[in-house]
Amino acid sequence: MAHTESCEIKSATLTIDGKQVTVPAGTTILDAAFELGIKIPTLCWLKKVSTTGACRICVVEVEGVERPMTACNTPVKDGINVTTSSPKLEQIRKKTLELMLVNHPLDCPVCDAAGECDLQDACYGLQVVKNPYGAELERLPIRYDWKLLESDPNRCILCEKCVKVCREIVGREAIEVVNRGDRTIIDTITGEPLDCDFCGNCINTCPTGTLISKPFKFRGRPWTFDVTPSICGFCSSGCQIEYHSRDGRVERVTSSDDSYNKGNLCVNGRFGYAAFNSSGRLTVPLLKDVEGNQKKASWDQALGTVAIKLKEIIAANGGGAVAGIGSPRVTNEESYLFQKFMRGAVGTNNIDSEARLGYFPAQVIQYEMLGYSGGTYAMDAIENASAVIVIGGDLKGESAGFAYRVIQAATKNDAKLVLATARATSMNKFANAFLQYRPGSESWLVAGLNKALLAEGLENKEFIQKSAKGLEALQASLDELSFERIAEITGINEAELREAARLVCSGGRTAVIYGADIMRATDMKSAVTAVVDLALLTGAVGTTGAGIFPLDEKNNTQGMLDMGICPEYLPGYHTYAHKAAAFGAAWKGTIPTAPGKDLFQIIEGIEDGQIKALYVMGSDLLHVMPNRNRTLKALQKLELLVVQDLFLTETARLATVILPAATAAEKAGSFTTVDNRVQCFPCAVAPAGDARTDGDILTKLYSLIAPVTNIVSLSPQALHQEITDLTGLYSDVCDHDGCRMGRVKSKAAFVNHEATLLPLVPAAPVKGDPAYPFDLCVGPILHHNGTLSTWSDNNQIVAEQGYIEVSEGDASKVGVANGANIKISSAIGAVTLKAKVSNALQTGMLFVPSHSRESQINLLMGNVRGVVSVKIEKA
Amino acid sequence: MAQVVFSTWGRNVVDNRNVSGEPQAVSFKLPVAFDGERPLRSFMGWDGIILFDKDVDVPAMTAEYMKRVQTLYCCGKCTPGKKGTKVLADLFQNVLVGKASEADLDTVADLAELLKNCKCTLCQSATVPVFDAVTHYREDFVSYIKGGRTPKPTNYIHKITAPCMDKCPAHIDIPKYVEEIKNYQYGEALATIRENMPMPSVCGRVCPHPCETACRRKNVDDAINIMVLKRTASDYEWQHKLVPPMQPKPAKNKKVAIVGAGPAGLACAYYLALEGYKSTVYEALPEGFGGGMIAVGIPAYRMPRHILQRDVDIIASMGAEIKYDMRVGKDITLAELKQQYDAVFLAPGAHRSKPMGVEGEDKGYKGFLTGGIDFLREAYMGKPTGMGKKVCVVGGGNTAIDCVRVALREGAEESILLYRRSRKEMPADSWEVDGADEEGVKFEFQVLPTRIVVDANEQVIGVECVRMAMGEPDASGRRRPEPVPGSEFIVECDTVIPAIGQDPDLSFIPPDMGIDITKWNTVVTKYLPLKDAAGKDLKDGMGNMLSRSLITDCDGVFAGGDAEIGPLTVVACVGNAHRAALVIQRWLEEGKAYLSEQDIFDDLLTYLGVYDKGENVAWLDSASRANQKEIHGKERASKGNYREVELGFADSTAQTEADRCLRCYRMAMVAV
Repeated sequence: MAHTESCEIKSATLTIDGKQVTVPAGTTILDAAFELGIKIPTLCWLKKVSTTGACRICVVEVEGVERPMTACNTPVKDGINVTTSSPKLEQIRKKTLELMLVNHPLDCPVCDAAGECDLQDACYGLQVVKNPYGAELERLPIRYDWKLLESDPNRCILCEKCVKVCREIVGREAIEVVNRGDRTIIDTITGEPLDCDFCGNCINTCPTGTLISKPFKFRGRPWTFDVTPSICGFCSSGCQIEYHSRDGRVERVTSSDDSYNKGNLCVNGRFGYAAFNSSGRLTVPLLKDVEGNQKKASWDQALGTVAIKLKEIIAANGGGAVAGIGSPRVTNEESYLFQKFMRGAVGTNNIDSEARLGYFPAQVIQYEMLGYSGGTYAMDAIENASAVIVIGGDLKGESAGFAYRVIQAATKNDAKLVLATARATSMNKFANAFLQYRPGSESWLVAGLNKALLAEGLENKEFIQKSAKGLEALQASLDELSFERIAEITGINEAELREAARLVCSGGRTAVIYGADIMRATDMKSAVTAVVDLALLTGAVGTTGAGIFPLDEKNNTQGMLDMGICPEYLPGYHTYAHKAAAFGAAWKGTIPTAPGKDLFQIIEGIEDGQIKALYVMGSDLLHVMPNRNRTLKALQKLELLVVQDLFLTETARLATVILPAATAAEKAGSFTTVDNRVQCFPCAVAPAGDARTDGDILTKLYSLIAPVTNIVSLSPQALHQEITDLTGLYSDVCDHDGCRMGRVKSKAAFVNHEATLLPLVPAAPVKGDPAYPFDLCVGPILHHNGTLSTWSDNNQIVAEQGYIEVSEGDASKVGVANGANIKISSAIGAVTLKAKVSNALQTGMLFVPSHSRESQINLLMGNVRGVVSVKIEKA
Repeated sequence: MAQVVFSTWGRNVVDNRNVSGEPQAVSFKLPVAFDGERPLRSFMGWDGIILFDKDVDVPAMTAEYMKRVQTLYCCGKCTPGKKGTKVLADLFQNVLVGKASEADLDTVADLAELLKNCKCTLCQSATVPVFDAVTHYREDFVSYIKGGRTPKPTNYIHKITAPCMDKCPAHIDIPKYVEEIKNYQYGEALATIRENMPMPSVCGRVCPHPCETACRRKNVDDAINIMVLKRTASDYEWQHKLVPPMQPKPAKNKKVAIVGAGPAGLACAYYLALEGYKSTVYEALPEGFGGGMIAVGIPAYRMPRHILQRDVDIIASMGAEIKYDMRVGKDITLAELKQQYDAVFLAPGAHRSKPMGVEGEDKGYKGFLTGGIDFLREAYMGKPTGMGKKVCVVGGGNTAIDCVRVALREGAEESILLYRRSRKEMPADSWEVDGADEEGVKFEFQVLPTRIVVDANEQVIGVECVRMAMGEPDASGRRRPEPVPGSEFIVECDTVIPAIGQDPDLSFIPPDMGIDITKWNTVVTKYLPLKDAAGKDLKDGMGNMLSRSLITDCDGVFAGGDAEIGPLTVVACVGNAHRAALVIQRWLEEGKAYLSEQDIFDDLLTYLGVYDKGENVAWLDSASRANQKEIHGKERASKGNYREVELGFADSTAQTEADRCLRCYRMAMVAV
């Protein structure tokens, strides 16, 4: 009972079944045996969570210890002699399994887990063929009243994997071991129906048929499906998944614990596949007839029409009269083909995407300051951070994969967590500090953090001296800002900022994560600059830091930008001045050398008649753009609107030609995560109906209108080679046959760069119009991803749509109860939505999820980023 | 005198069922009557069965025991426990209704063996008495199986316990909260702690943790670091700025006055508040010094004040009004309190220093301070302490150690501790003595101060001491330190602080209220007449009657804490005051102040002893105890530096440490 620190022993050498092994201290006997290739049977053990020791199958004998020890949760000791198999141990294992089978239902024939049941396998493996034990039979009720999941506690072996995954990985604690004795089950603590993230990670980890997926139930026996490894096509975490498909339909999505994401998915990854099977899918091309009705057409008709009309417009007005909107959803290869089509065949640099609204300009700033864009490390670095700050984003809403990493850091690796967000999120319970700043004050808040950090003298001096210039200018600019003024604008005082700064710097290995609220902030430039400054001051971007990570809601925003879907740069961020000629030569033609119009300029171009044709690939402009009415008017003015999409979106309804495209499951290619992992995947199922992949469509169109038709038969390998050669972004090695981490994206090592700290001069807050006293924020929520998931019946079951979150105080002030309608008006429009009274919001702030297509919240938004000033009233 | 009919307790079979002649004499640390009235007929638990009454129906008792284990306590979190106890429970029920076969009884042995592989000890230990019963009373089971027997109605009482939980005076469910920490459920862990300990940050820091002396893991290697795990759960809440989740029941219309805002007073207020009883706590110290002896007796480097204040604030927020600067007996009388409130709880603590019995101590010399506890209080309250530069503290308890360490922080150039026995005999916690040592405190062991030496101005200039040596064993065989003639010497100093103990100041209790006071100056409360087989009263470790309801002889007036137990520990005061709150609630609701069967069972188990230091615990000793980090070096005790010395666990360390816990639950059941 000494009260002094323990001395640490670093490693232990032990003998297992006569073989010697040396492992780090703290290793379990199970893991040590694994090193030797000795497999000890287990049922409750799960590598990614803490040990449980529930099943008692993994018993081993340790010489000198009277009782058998469980290998899964017993650390090794130097010099011990372990036996993993003996008649006595086999007997214990067998009898324990026999006990497990007492009153276990014999419904294997209709059990969803049959064929992939660990209990079946264990009994089979240990030849448990009879059951000498018996007890009174008492059947426990099956939970049919849960959404998406079903729980049959009678099949449960109480391994607790689901509980632990829910608590330790997902951070939700939605299910727990409840009751006593033989009636012990896994249930919600209150007994109410499940209310959770609906990530289904519990289903994935359940060794029996206890927790099953309702949408998958009775869809088929597990072994009858084709299993295709792939990359999730929802958020930017890029989780590695498996599509289980039959008869051309994806029927479930799983993920292996051996994957990069350790088998952990979110609701979108697990259940969002239902969007692929949606009855709303476009399966044939549509052509607008003379009366303006969109009618079914053949591909030849549709593509022919596009080609003819484009050629006419180009002939009459030049390529500059055409613009293209790319998609953060399609593969890198398809994005590449899209810009190649626009630049090489159409002859225009008027190419942009919804990334213009935040991610892209933010990455330009990051690039200018740091020398690279996107995450500076792969996201697993976050798990080993000693401090994490999340600024301006609902981590789970934007990218659940990042949330899981942060939860690991905070709960298992003692990282301090600071959240700087305008509204409370599900991450709050892990936070050591929560800076709930006023919406719109992002740039001031982060400037304040920088100021507090320097005031505390916590900057990483060694790193800054070696790798970053501009500290004096930054300091001078911060001296101009007083903590009082910062507090006045943000609502966060000096003491809170200083405390947060100390936490952010604790341990010296900081990760900085920033989300859409920063990248879409009113004063986005200052806000992003301040975030990058913070990442530099803390040394997060240095070799001993844990990185800086921008978040994006969609799966391939980073890859899309890498592929040149922006008017400023060619693929690989090459400038026209440097590389236009080289690209032109490679494409056997010439490409325009002047930067094109960006998203906003394209709208303006349409308005003033310069742009006559718009090609929109996988983007619902009417939904994503601010100022819906203005966008609508512009789109209506076009001579030609081509929309290539999965669904008949609001934008598609305006199109001259609609080209039905393929989902992520229906094509091969690669996605690049925001942390710069390039992951290739094969095609799992054929496109729905007559739909075609974006790549196929673009290749065909290219051949129809390009002056030189050299890409007709470009093979994936040749395309990959072309991209690699021209962009210089990737390593050469890629095994396209199912590889998921094939290509390494080359980033110049940071040591070669000198980063720049930039001064911070946050813009003075705009005095709000007292007629519109509320700050409306729009952003993603956990149960959806973009609008894609709104086509998924599964997501729709668990996530209500089209509501407005309002604080308790404001709700009572306006006199609306939960569920009542609220009319929200801004200077330019009004919508009515259902109220959701919430304690996550500060008074004066409103929140509307960005996913709902019906909300049409952009009717309220002017051509600005950031918060919208609105008023609310009882509808 | 009660006769043991049969026993396997301690794995030692005593069978007096069919002896001719003198039965084998054996006694257990148990009362002859459960509550002083109802005879204790049998005792069944983790270590066997004890039958005092030959008519006890062993098969029925066995079936009941296993049923309670399976349906009430088996956590279901391991296969053998969950299913094995189910099979056993159903088997015994079948025996009782004549549906079992003799072969089924053999399953008991089989399962008893298999259940040795349980995850924890509850189900596993439950097979011990059950197996004993089947083995030694097989014919009774067989007669049930053959039919014709029906169980007679019997009153069984059971209690769940664990060695640590039993040893903890507050009976915190330690295995539960440790497991919750192991499972990263800090909030749940804290909620578990708060069920029995409303000042978790305090007892996570300064508790002498008697629980750890009864930790079964000690029989493998070292005890679980139970105290620091408690701190971890408590610190997690404030470090994550979480709002305590407790919700008091709706307010009831009776109110309670509490004398003293120390650990006992606050604990009583807290548990009453949760039940909806508002209380008013009268505290003699000014605002900002809530916490009683914790606030003014435990230095801030051990117990940071803002963290203590947080615990006090939480208790107040539950519905306890603390009136500071109100000394009962001076600012308001006890009689007035009794009149104004429905019940009064006396928890004034023990704040009066004991005299040390040395020549000159009553002369009012400059530099001779009243006592250690007064010195600590004044130092903390920022008042002049009268301390000089060279300080001698006399005593060997924690207060004495606190004084020498505080003296350094108050700027003493030299801080010396005088103690009449050796270092290892000091009652102070050894780690506190080590802490003082590290900070540069000088020790003079085995010395007895005999005279205060002063100069012409009556300023202390030293203490005359005599060396002590162990004398001849006395009648009890114990050797006492005796002065060595001619060994007198003078320790030079300008300040002497006697710190040899405290007494309650009970002068506020008027003699006419009918409240009795012991010769040790503690309040007398009512107790159960528990007697052992020899007819002797059962007493607790402090020499008090074992099972006390904490009501005084004056109706509606209750007492607890140091003033009732005698000066002890925070955790003892909290445990005692929690019981007082329960009894007060019964008093307010039923007009009777009594102990529940669970209260009594707690006392009985503590008396019996749940921890067995001789038990051979088979386990691999491959995970060694984690200890919290602390600041080292003399600088930590530099002038004005009250920064916390001990730093707690990182959460990951806590999780690993918690994983060492063997979860030693066990269930006891008696027939009365």
